Amino acid sequence: MRLQEHNGLKDILGKIIDAAIHKFEAEYAEARAQRLVKTMLTLKEGNVEATTQGIESGVALRVLARGAWGFASVGRMDVETLTEAVADACAMAKRASLRLKTPVKLAETKAVEDKVVSRPRRDPASVPIEDKLKTTLSLNKTVMVYDKSVKGCTIDYLDTTGTTHFMNSTGTYIEQDKLYVWSRILVTAKEGDVYTSSREEIGSTSGYEVFDIETPDIVGRRVAKRAVDQLKAKPPRGGTFPAVLGPNVVGVFVHEAFGHLAEADLTLAGSVLMGRLGKKIGSDLVTFYDDGTIDGAFGSFKYDDEGVPAQKTLLVKNGIVSGLMHNLETAHKFNAEPTGNARAEDFRVEPIIRMRNTAMQPRDCSFEELFEDIKFGYYFKAFRGGQANFDGTFQVGVQEGYEILKGEIAEPVRNASISGNTLETLLEVDAVGKDFQLWSGRCGKGQEAFVCDGGPHVRLKEVLVGGSA
Amino acid sequence: MAVPEQEEMQKLAEKAVNAALGKGADEAEAFVYQGIATNIGIERGQIVRSSRIIDEGIGLRTILNKAIGFSYTNVLEGDAAINETIDRALSSAKASKPDEDWRGLPNKKPYTSTGGTYDQKIVGLHSEDLVKIASIMLEAAEKADKRVFPIEGGAGASRMSVAAANSNGIAAFDQGTMVDCSLATICQDGSEVTPVCFEFNAERSHHIDPEWIGKEAARLALSALKPKKIETKSTQVILTQFALQQLLYFTLIDAIKADYVQRDQSALKGKIGQKIASDCVTVYDDGVLHDGLRTWKFDGEGVPQQKTLIIEKGVLRDFIYDNYTARKEGKESTGNAARAGYLSTPDVEATNFHILPGTKSPDDLVSEVDNGLIMYYLQGAHSSNPASGEFSVVATPAWKIEKGNVTHATKGVMMVGNIYQVLTNITALANNERKLGQLIAPWMLVENVKVIGK
Repeated sequence: MRLQEHNGLKDILGKIIDAAIHKFEAEYAEARAQRLVKTMLTLKEGNVEATTQGIESGVALRVLARGAWGFASVGRMDVETLTEAVADACAMAKRASLRLKTPVKLAETKAVEDKVVSRPRRDPASVPIEDKLKTTLSLNKTVMVYDKSVKGCTIDYLDTTGTTHFMNSTGTYIEQDKLYVWSRILVTAKEGDVYTSSREEIGSTSGYEVFDIETPDIVGRRVAKRAVDQLKAKPPRGGTFPAVLGPNVVGVFVHEAFGHLAEADLTLAGSVLMGRLGKKIGSDLVTFYDDGTIDGAFGSFKYDDEGVPAQKTLLVKNGIVSGLMHNLETAHKFNAEPTGNARAEDFRVEPIIRMRNTAMQPRDCSFEELFEDIKFGYYFKAFRGGQANFDGTFQVGVQEGYEILKGEIAEPVRNASISGNTLETLLEVDAVGKDFQLWSGRCGKGQEAFVCDGGPHVRLKEVLVGGSA
Repeated sequence: MAVPEQEEMQKLAEKAVNAALGKGADEAEAFVYQGIATNIGIERGQIVRSSRIIDEGIGLRTILNKAIGFSYTNVLEGDAAINETIDRALSSAKASKPDEDWRGLPNKKPYTSTGGTYDQKIVGLHSEDLVKIASIMLEAAEKADKRVFPIEGGAGASRMSVAAANSNGIAAFDQGTMVDCSLATICQDGSEVTPVCFEFNAERSHHIDPEWIGKEAARLALSALKPKKIETKSTQVILTQFALQQLLYFTLIDAIKADYVQRDQSALKGKIGQKIASDCVTVYDDGVLHDGLRTWKFDGEGVPQQKTLIIEKGVLRDFIYDNYTARKEGKESTGNAARAGYLSTPDVEATNFHILPGTKSPDDLVSEVDNGLIMYYLQGAHSSNPASGEFSVVATPAWKIEKGNVTHATKGVMMVGNIYQVLTNITALANNERKLGQLIAPWMLVENVKVIGK
């Protein structure tokens, strides 16, 4: 029965693509049909706000006609609705093309036929909701009993399962399972007038077994301890200081301060990386990559939403810009190979260039070596948020930080942030650790994407620290 | 594509509620949403895309022994899909844990009339009309200077309809329209690139000004060239609406939500009746504001939206509530339950967060500054400490004001502080209020703000 339905859908998509090309004059057409099932929980201090199960089902139709894009999204899968929608998409593309100066062209790709089946050890779709509640309630309990200063604990849980059927007019047809398990824990602590907060995210594409490693006990203690320890922390001094960044902060720096600038759509739009391909922008110790193939990582998948296989893309090698992240359109512009970075949050939106698992390559310094020469500086261990601008101005807010005194980790500081210009800061990297960690998170670029960021510990000769003391 | 009629949506909501009760729910609530959006996209100086997105669905909340289950679907055809959704909502409730604070779904109350929220002219906008709007904006920006590069933007028109029903007799329908255009520009001069400068205009009825958006986005990018570093010090700062929106969204707006207050996560807990801001600050959460971007007859629970006094001449007067947080305190909801269409359960959120304007012209405000900064865009406000109101952000860019004149852009200036210090140090408000998402506010002048330069 299930197979028949799938074959039925393949036939329908085939008819729609055919109509787009032969009837409505599209140069390229793609259809992306999805049926997703989600389970969500929100717990606040152990109160279960609502236990949610949802179904989202629909089709995204994207066409290129007269050099412009047309896109339609509908929540139905019948031939009649989809034919109407694809006609609409083609008509819209033609209207959008009216004032076009440079028509959009796409890189050529090999046609692929594949079926990607996820094989979780524990399929979230068959884990009973009661078990998911048990896990999150136990996480809540670990947090709330950690210390009496803990006031709040908000836990969100989400799992998504389902299948994407992708077909385009160049002969590609891919059925690909989707599987995500995610949880975010927000903890607040209070003592007197001092409020602190701490956050942690867990994410996996392998299965519910992620909670066997990131157990409620381990995660709960980590996030609660951070909020409580900050109560005794002092504000950092404002100004320029040497700093050691932990893998979690390095990850967000690579992602925010560098990664976005290397998304080829943003590079073309004029980010500071424009014209710097092949040029030296950082110290020899700097090697960055974006990898969609790490097994089970939150940003991994086999094919992107243009049907291009994911790969490991080298962005910076020993300080030299060596690659960008592409979709079909930017790959053509740069005369490069598509890298499999085109992702769409769901069938309601068009694929755009997104990161996957973005990280810095480790080197050979020990943890102690990174600190030993610093008389006074800061150790920034975990980030709260980060953001970058086209000119390379970045800001990373820090949720866990410490002073470094005479080569040793000293007192904690709270509400610190670092800022600077990406290119200037990459030249300040003067030692890179041999450790490595990846952290799961979500990235917003109009749409949400699941990603990982990471790297080793890194030392900066100096960085601007925002502090109120 | 055929647009379902009001009657159809209401019937669906009521039918789902009745069927859920029939299947054993103690209480039930349905929220039906439909959104149709047409957009034109600008990329790298040209219009390259057009899209139409039709999204509709039903979200169903059921309560069984004080345990809440929620289920949604965007498959609305046929009884089977709706029945499955009801079954899933009930099975979710069965699996869930009772919430002892649950005091029932809201009751039916009369709605205040709202105005300026629906415009037939927007419903009639097609992609070719939006191409025209986007072209006007784009040309205005390009005409300003050759060095200006519009990197992205667009124009859009949308129509949203909502129907709410619950087992206490609520049965309501509302519809609204929105038209918007936006443009992000940078300026390139030799090897110099400015930060992104952005302008935006959204309205509920068809009176946007794409030419002004184009011109202003270009003017800001041009004036961001040749930035200089500044010294670290405490200074006067004018916050424009973009900067304010960023700062307030991640600090003050959370702090006035009853949910945060009750859970001891708001620095404003216990401060009703106390002075928390300077005398010139009066704030309403106004869910029925004429042509407000977040104005609707009712909120995500079918409760009437209303105008709630939050800060009166600097004194904290009230918090915002949904039905759950209000009943927990024996109060009435202030109509602040928001939901993400049919996809989520209600959550406390501000409607139109309205900071009343002052009397000074923006030029007068600038002329009062002897040595300070004017900030348009902030980076990193989302990394603020939501519980304490502390922030540490970068202004990209801020402009220097010397002896009452805006002189030049600055580079990499950080601003640190606490939102409650900022509120207390506001000395003047301009008369130039504008709408930006949920914020309606004028420019404000703040004294004694710590900025970190070199």
